[in-house]
Amino acid sequence: MASTLPYRPSNDSLSTSNAKTNGLPRLSPAASFIGRSPSGSHASFRRTSTENAAGYRPRRCKAQYPLDSPERHVEYILVASFHIDRGPIMEHQYPAAISGDESMLAELMLPDQTHVRSQDWTIFFLHKDTSGEDEDESEAGKKKKKRKSRYRANEETAGMSEEDPDEVSEEDSSDDDEGGEGPPLMYVLNLVNTKQDNTVRRGAVVKAMAICTRHSFLHIYKPLLLLALEDYFKSPYPETLASLYDAVNNMDLSLMPKMSILERHILQSSNTKDMLIEKFEQMVRQREEEEAEDGECPPSPKKTSRYVLPRDTHEYESKVVYNDIPIPVKIPTAIWPETVGDFSLVKLVQTFAGPHATSPQPFPSHPHLTTSGPFTHPIIVLINAILTQKRVIFLGHNRPSGEVAEAVLAACALASGGILRGFTRHAFPYTDLTKIDDLLKVPGFIAGVTNPTFANHPEWWDVLCDLPTGRMKISSHVEPAPVTEGLLFFQQQNALLPNPGSNTHPDPTGDNLFMDDILRSITQRHGENAIRAKWRAYIVKFTRVAAAFEEAVYGASNLYIIGPGEELSPDSPTGHQTDPTDPTSLRGHGYVWPDEASKQRELSASVSRIEGWRNTRSYYSYIQDIAAMYYPARPIQRPDIHHHHDRLRSLKLSHAEAGAIYLALSHAVKDYAGICQLLTVAPENQAGLFYISMGLFHPDQVVREATVDLLDRIAVHPVGRHFWTHLSRFAKLGYFRVKREREAAQSPISGAGSPTVTNPGTSFGGEPQSLVGVALGDSFKRRS
Amino acid sequence: MGGSVSKMMGKIFGTKEMRILMLGLDAAGKTTILYKLKLSNQDVTTIPTVGFNVESVTYKNVKFNVWDVGGQDKIRPLWRHYYSGTQGLIFVVDSSDTARLEEAQSELHKIINDREMKDALLLVFANKQDIPGHLSPEEITQKLQLTKLKDKLWYVAPSVATDGTGIFEGLAWLSNNVKTQPAK
Repeated sequence: MASTLPYRPSNDSLSTSNAKTNGLPRLSPAASFIGRSPSGSHASFRRTSTENAAGYRPRRCKAQYPLDSPERHVEYILVASFHIDRGPIMEHQYPAAISGDESMLAELMLPDQTHVRSQDWTIFFLHKDTSGEDEDESEAGKKKKKRKSRYRANEETAGMSEEDPDEVSEEDSSDDDEGGEGPPLMYVLNLVNTKQDNTVRRGAVVKAMAICTRHSFLHIYKPLLLLALEDYFKSPYPETLASLYDAVNNMDLSLMPKMSILERHILQSSNTKDMLIEKFEQMVRQREEEEAEDGECPPSPKKTSRYVLPRDTHEYESKVVYNDIPIPVKIPTAIWPETVGDFSLVKLVQTFAGPHATSPQPFPSHPHLTTSGPFTHPIIVLINAILTQKRVIFLGHNRPSGEVAEAVLAACALASGGILRGFTRHAFPYTDLTKIDDLLKVPGFIAGVTNPTFANHPEWWDVLCDLPTGRMKISSHVEPAPVTEGLLFFQQQNALLPNPGSNTHPDPTGDNLFMDDILRSITQRHGENAIRAKWRAYIVKFTRVAAAFEEAVYGASNLYIIGPGEELSPDSPTGHQTDPTDPTSLRGHGYVWPDEASKQRELSASVSRIEGWRNTRSYYSYIQDIAAMYYPARPIQRPDIHHHHDRLRSLKLSHAEAGAIYLALSHAVKDYAGICQLLTVAPENQAGLFYISMGLFHPDQVVREATVDLLDRIAVHPVGRHFWTHLSRFAKLGYFRVKREREAAQSPISGAGSPTVTNPGTSFGGEPQSLVGVALGDSFKRRS
Repeated sequence: MGGSVSKMMGKIFGTKEMRILMLGLDAAGKTTILYKLKLSNQDVTTIPTVGFNVESVTYKNVKFNVWDVGGQDKIRPLWRHYYSGTQGLIFVVDSSDTARLEEAQSELHKIINDREMKDALLLVFANKQDIPGHLSPEEITQKLQLTKLKDKLWYVAPSVATDGTGIFEGLAWLSNNVKTQPAK
């Protein structure tokens, strides 16, 4: 298969079967694109996903939202009003009536106390769960469901099931993706206005307009709703809805490239503005070529300038023309799962960290929640509550409902970290008393309310987060943590072990340290992205600690798929090379602790919440995701790159041990996807390539040269080149010294000094190593 | 800060605190009464309540936390969620809307027959006494069948919410009859 697919722009699955042996994946999109002759099958961009010819498709960079997609950006526009005799009623729905309980929708669209403010935003979700057991909010998604399962790429679950352009079974996999969770949610963004009007009975008109979309970036529609609702007050007819509907659905996102899971991961954790710009360039080239072939739009100088590349690849700029007014919109190009709308983790953390810092209040003890004692940081209590599937309510009395909705969405993202999911699906960003009976049927939820009567009903929630005061309460009605087998096993095991000092350690979970770090980042204004990246790291760590716990207690973990050749048996220690001829057969996996004592300490501090997490929805979806993502997210299965990179980072290794890791990495990480995978475990905000570059200073020349080969490949990689640029000058000089030594040894005539050395080990055919030369040219010339 | 000072004052002067729930059919005048209590000397114009209002009013050393909940028939089932912990019910009746007094009577009896409301005082405002054709407090008492009630402290106060007539008299009855209970 590899031979027919020389170019793999977002190659996720192929490399799994033959990561080391397949041909030379060519990385330059430019080279590949030019090399391919314009062929008939590309004449039209109206190809449907079914008629693709396997040989051609992978070459193309696909759009996230293709022009010919039957999916609409916005599926419904609704208008509701508060009728002075009848309460909330639905006035109009476009293009058709959304199925489900109309009056319930109208109630959601007119939040409590909307009469005291002139404008309010809310967000709520509609869904129809296939299992039908505990879903309430609405039956509205029902009608959509059949259509959904076919065409749905995965905006919502983005990153959860990777649809690989190379994969023939694409459709199947995206179907499976929904299997566990039901159809994707419909997100509703709602604007409500109250206008005082003395000419009407009882003096006011309250109307709300809502946009129903499957896109999680629904906040982009805010300016449009403002304009359209204003228009609707003037002309309250379906035509007003229709013109908004047409305007938003004519938004063109077709030049927004689809990214693989690893690419998305890298883009999200990077601040580099031109990261992956190559993909956008390719989209434009493809479009221009299609237009030329179609003959519909003869190429002209004007045409070529029509498509501009994004200034920042994190956002795709487009516009919506509403009533002849072009309204610019910015679509996030890569969205973590469970990220809906525009919320601020910084704001959420600050709301609850402030009062805790000035006058901490003790929590009643609960093993799942107060993992660092009665003065556990409230944000940690919150995340523990969500992870162990408690009922969490955000209360914002006298606050706009948009504010509680934002807090709920932020809490979902906090607990997900882009890794776990199932939180938004059971979140109710804004709800009120009318839904309380349905809400209470949901086992574990996150809900936002503005009605303080919720505070008087501790039987309705486990954790109450009061936004105006920034205080959190654990309910007196919270269910006590059950004593589980895992807990007992763990205690038995630990009773046998000498367990020095586990009780005396001030911060056994490391959470206090972590929160200090988060708060420091916030005060130093590192920004929302940095905070999200840190939370992601926290959740990744939580899952890895949980995997280690399961291995320790149950002998094997659901949370980790053992790579080929790897064993759980204790007599094959980490770092042991099972096959002397194959450097990649390096043993070891999972989270790395500096020593056994700190491992025991952290496990025993986390055992309750891990056990509490182990029978939640997010735990089971995570197991599914690990299976589904095994190939896309881990093109290199052997060795465990994350584990060995962590060892380089956090352990004092002997030269031999470190050398084995460098050799293993250099042998395993060869192709496009593999390098992406390596870069995801060495993000720029965690020293980037620093630990890998240390291999340049290894006493063994073989290791040094292997590291050079690896860095060579990274430096010409479209993503890796940014990492290479950020590498310190010291490391680069080391790189060059090794390179020159080798040059001298291999061909004494050419001598040291040519900056454009070619490297036989490099697999990126056709691409000269000049990038490296350019990056280092100056310093090198000065040196030599 | 202000809160803690008034709490201290409360401890010194023995302020009581009382949770009041104000219900009634739509357009009976609940929100007007609430804001007339809160802002005694100002004119109040209200618009229909979406959901609820809640305000604290201190009168004669009693801090009343008054909940005013929207009255449209569709949202009346939500009233029950406000019952627990309520010490006093204010039921507001539009004395001129004779056509709906039967409806008001049935809603009122539903409320006070609830287990959670059995200890609550009942104050009925026979509101809109300024509108021609209104019924007197006695007629309201009869229409609402209050005399049937057993083990219940109740009182009907005539009122004109828009100019504040009778509002504070009603409140005075509540504060005189509430069981002495330490502020929480």
